[in-house]
Amino acid sequence: MEEKKMTEKESLELITSMIQRTRERYVGDGNIMLMWRYLTVAVTALVWILLVKTGNPIYNLGWFLIPLLGNILKPLMDKKQKVKSGVKSYSDRIVTQIWTVVGISSLVAMLTCFGFIFFAHASSNIWKSMFIFALIMVPMAEIAHGIVVKEKSLVVGGALGLCVGIFTMCCIAAGIPFGANWYLPMFIIAFICMMIIPGHIINYKAKQQR
Amino acid sequence: MKELDPILHSQLRLAVMSILMNVDEADFVYLKEKTESTAGNLSVQLDKLSNAGYITVTKGFVGKKTRTTCQVTEQGRTAFEQYVEALKDYLNL
Repeated sequence: MEEKKMTEKESLELITSMIQRTRERYVGDGNIMLMWRYLTVAVTALVWILLVKTGNPIYNLGWFLIPLLGNILKPLMDKKQKVKSGVKSYSDRIVTQIWTVVGISSLVAMLTCFGFIFFAHASSNIWKSMFIFALIMVPMAEIAHGIVVKEKSLVVGGALGLCVGIFTMCCIAAGIPFGANWYLPMFIIAFICMMIIPGHIINYKAKQQR
Repeated sequence: MKELDPILHSQLRLAVMSILMNVDEADFVYLKEKTESTAGNLSVQLDKLSNAGYITVTKGFVGKKTRTTCQVTEQGRTAFEQYVEALKDYLNL
């Protein structure tokens, strides 16, 4: 771009053209999202197998693997993505903040569960609250993410997850016991529908745009 | 009729400001690519915008590589809005 004198009309055209160029960017790389999603499904499957095989609630400690591994991998992947795109939009910032809130609250929820177990001698049933967290808070964040980036698959997937979350909440309120043999597979399926499928859809769209 | 801000009434500086008004932050490489400018010219214009208080320029590192990111300031945002208003006046829009 050369430095030359512009007319008012040219200035306006330049502004319009630059705005258009900033819109020519990828929907977003879904790899970070997919990492969280596969990690959640893998850890749930692991906890499920261990609980079914041993019946020992100590294996609920496995849930800690999600924030632990996720928070190690995310900054590494984040850095790579930021360098690749060279730009951060307002929606990127909002989405990052939404998921940061979810991440921090999941850690707080887990620590609170431990607090109840160690200080109030609560039974291992306290971990049911984590299911509500995973299937109410996460789908809500997913829906918000979908609304911000205008991605229907995230909204639909989040809504499906939310339905399972409401079902879970009703089971707890009605005193219906969760069997690891039926509940955890349902949890995994819900996560696949609400997180893994939309993640792949976003990645596919990003590839199409490139 | 309001006078057009001389800092903004320059092709490359206006292009940079138009981009930064639409994003939260953008790095030097992105701005260079979108404005189709040379590194030297872009660097000079970024300095002028930064000295006028319209943008903030942050130099950092990603791994071993340097990365310069730019963000529009509140002052820059106001100046840009006023510039667009002045343009509309000139063009009777």
